[in-house]
Amino acid sequence: MKKQFYTHLIETDSILVKLHELGLSEEQKIQLLAIVESSLHHTVLDAILSELSEEDKELFFEHIEEDDHTKTWKFLNEKVDTIEEKIVKAAKDLTKELHDDIEDVKNNGNN
Amino acid sequence: MLKFKKFFKKKDLHYKKLHNKWSKKHAGIKERLYSNHQKSVKWLVKNIPAKEHIAMGSLSGLLLLTPPVVASLPAQPASPSSNLLDEVKKIPSGTFFALELSPLLPDEVRPLSVDEEKKIGDVLSKHYNMKVSAELEGKKLNRSYGLIGAEQHLMRYPGDTMQSHFQTPEEEIFARSGMAPGRGAWGYFAPSFSEMTQKDVEREKYYIAVQTFLSPGFMDNVREHYAFYKYRKMLVVNPHNGRAVVVVIGDAGPAAWTGKHLGGSPEVMSHLQRVDGRARGPVLYFFIDDPKDDIPLGPIDVI
Repeated sequence: MKKQFYTHLIETDSILVKLHELGLSEEQKIQLLAIVESSLHHTVLDAILSELSEEDKELFFEHIEEDDHTKTWKFLNEKVDTIEEKIVKAAKDLTKELHDDIEDVKNNGNN
Repeated sequence: MLKFKKFFKKKDLHYKKLHNKWSKKHAGIKERLYSNHQKSVKWLVKNIPAKEHIAMGSLSGLLLLTPPVVASLPAQPASPSSNLLDEVKKIPSGTFFALELSPLLPDEVRPLSVDEEKKIGDVLSKHYNMKVSAELEGKKLNRSYGLIGAEQHLMRYPGDTMQSHFQTPEEEIFARSGMAPGRGAWGYFAPSFSEMTQKDVEREKYYIAVQTFLSPGFMDNVREHYAFYKYRKMLVVNPHNGRAVVVVIGDAGPAAWTGKHLGGSPEVMSHLQRVDGRARGPVLYFFIDDPKDDIPLGPIDVI
């Protein structure tokens, strides 16, 4: 996965471990992880955009486009209080749901 | 050996279940993002060019609307190496149309109120880039949201048969619908084969039958209504998938007792994919204001 400005705040290894425990093939794991990563992309983005004004959303996109992570963080920290915490919370909530889904499939896999 | 096979079967089942569950979740997350931040996502698409090719899905099969809400936008194949913005910009064409239309549609297929017709007409006008409305020149049908059923082909000129009806082999797939035994409400489309124009051909190909006889004021002035409805251009939209066709009113019907509110030619029904087991389903049908006759008949995509 391409390193995003928020990558250090997101943890997906535990999901990979759980998928491994299900005995999935490499190809299957890659397919599922791609969905996980894209879901996290959109969840994080939704969390950030929800904190910004319309004008700031456009500026934020421009910062991402420049791919300058330092600049992006500087901008976000200026505009939103505790933005890191908000990103972490949004990602954690989703990750928890995904873990629950794996457990659910594991426990009801034969139904 | 049996145990080995069982293990493989189980892991495939796990994969399928997770893939299904997560694809739906992914679609819901994307839908929420587009819905919450429509304006800025539109700005993004317009102002920041994609670094990758943006996979814009065709309209078909992308909306999967279930009135009155967008049930789910299909999950796009996610690429782990995607640029963040490019990933967001993988918006299937018609997404915004779906998001705007779905909250306006009632749960059940019923006549729309004037206010609903106005709002839905505005959304259709905007996304199909034409002026449409439920009322035109003071005339309106008995409804603008109803169940469409399959009609047969119509005789275009005296002596037209299923053998003479199709110009290309591709069109012959529509032959199985057969031809109505009588003429349409407006008579033949052309006086003879030699006088038939391409416009006549298109009109029969993309026609609908509507319940003109149930429209308000019809019985008070049949002649005037007849003249207004004859080959009147309309936009028909399947709100479940966004597929739409520009058509003409080519016939009157179906009878009220059928439970259907309008009929579509075989070509119209095929494009709308409005052919379920009972060969009927809900569509929106609005008049097109096209005084110069500029808008061609046939399938049309959202802009």
